[in-house]
Amino acid sequence: MELDYLATVLLSSLSSASVLLIATVGLAIVFGLMGVINLAHGEFIMFGAYVALFATRNGVPFPLAVVLASVVTALFGAIVERAIIRHLYGRILDTLLATWGLSLVLYQSAVLIFGTVTPGVGMPQSNIEIGNYTLSTYLLFLILVAVVLIGLLYWLLTRTGYGIVARAAIQDPQTAATIGIESGRINTATFALGSGLAGFAGAILLPAFPATPSMGFAFVIKAFLAVVAAGPVTLSGTVVAGGALGSIASMTASFYTTVMGDVVFFLATITILRIFPLGISARWRLKL
Amino acid sequence: MFEITDATGGYGKTRIIRSVSMSVKTGEVVALLGRNGVGKTTLLKYIMGLIDVFGGQVSLDGAPLPASTARRARAGLGYVPQGRYVFPRLTVTENIAAAAIGCGLGRKEAVERALANFPILRDKAEALAGSLSGGQQQILAIARALATRPRVLMLDEPSEGVQPSIVDEIAGILMAMKDEATLSIIIAEQNLDFCLSLAERAYVMAGGTIAREVTRDELIGDRELLHDLLGV
Repeated sequence: MELDYLATVLLSSLSSASVLLIATVGLAIVFGLMGVINLAHGEFIMFGAYVALFATRNGVPFPLAVVLASVVTALFGAIVERAIIRHLYGRILDTLLATWGLSLVLYQSAVLIFGTVTPGVGMPQSNIEIGNYTLSTYLLFLILVAVVLIGLLYWLLTRTGYGIVARAAIQDPQTAATIGIESGRINTATFALGSGLAGFAGAILLPAFPATPSMGFAFVIKAFLAVVAAGPVTLSGTVVAGGALGSIASMTASFYTTVMGDVVFFLATITILRIFPLGISARWRLKL
Repeated sequence: MFEITDATGGYGKTRIIRSVSMSVKTGEVVALLGRNGVGKTTLLKYIMGLIDVFGGQVSLDGAPLPASTARRARAGLGYVPQGRYVFPRLTVTENIAAAAIGCGLGRKEAVERALANFPILRDKAEALAGSLSGGQQQILAIARALATRPRVLMLDEPSEGVQPSIVDEIAGILMAMKDEATLSIIIAEQNLDFCLSLAERAYVMAGGTIAREVTRDELIGDRELLHDLLGV
């Protein structure tokens, strides 16, 4: 095997894992940390993508459009938490049905408003040559985005007052209340954070994954599996599980086919859960 | 003065405590005694606003406290629940910081003060609270409650499941706080020696109500009461 091919496959796999992580961190917050099964997570990604698309088409520079998409999706998430989710905490099946219904509404709304095919953002694409092979510069840039995003999120949740209070309120809302923490506000803020991260994912991935009403579906199943495989130490677990599963699937796809890549992803998840029923991080002594 | 007037509460439709009235002066330590299941924990939960209220009120210096648990904490009620309930995936420092932030206080100063007052926690400052021993968790739970700068501190079975040396340490900590004379303390306990070393007065509960109010000396001298109500 040639060295340039191997380097291309490795970078490509790392890039795929980064794409999966970018799409998953929002769910790691909402599902992994808060325990809310948000089946509309994929549609939140789609929501962010369309906000960014709409903004860029109206002359907003792409980096600003990404920020705008994150903020608008976060606000939308806050409204969803206040209107729907907060009435269903502790009722897993009801939450599942409500967010599934929300996902259908968002999907059909996108189909009605934008149609099933949407033009991309039209950013200039550049490639990097590695020997005889080329890789999209933007896909490699997403590796950096994933690293920075996870670093920032870890900082937010472990070093800031909000992060400490949020983790306390999510671990034990009643005890948190006895030390003055209003869990309701924290839950809204945290759900908004997870939603904003989904919106960020949809927007930042837009140059590589054009906005379509069904785009979230491509990410959400693997995102859920990565968070389940991650276990209770949400962020670190998701980085390891999502990174490993995404890389393995991408490498398999490079050598065989995309379908085989997906099969390996699911088989690897099943194997992880057979060995670690509570997720890979069940015995980790880490805070996040 | 901290007062509970005609407190009636429970879970769902079940009333556990009925028409409980008691008061604690500033700087006073009061014990809440009684056998298992008489309503000591439920009374403390009532005071913190953690259970369904059917009647009565809780007031501090004559002003009724708000219904919300978080607001009661910010109004000056500190609570150490039975079983500690530290946040297991937060470090010792973060547990203390969370309490300070929750009550709008500076987290850095709160952590420094707590580690100065509770040296046993200093070596474990960055350890996850879930990895501490039961006694260390109990001390952390007290430190966390004190980080809210309470005017009334309520402790529910603080000596339960804790090794004797740590129980002595907890008693020493509470004694030091008692000497400051600015904090009122209510201790619900079954460990009579622990209570008698701290409290000047006790309310004895039976069947969800206050059966008797006694001074420490009356309690020590009344063997029948000790035997009948406490089973000791």
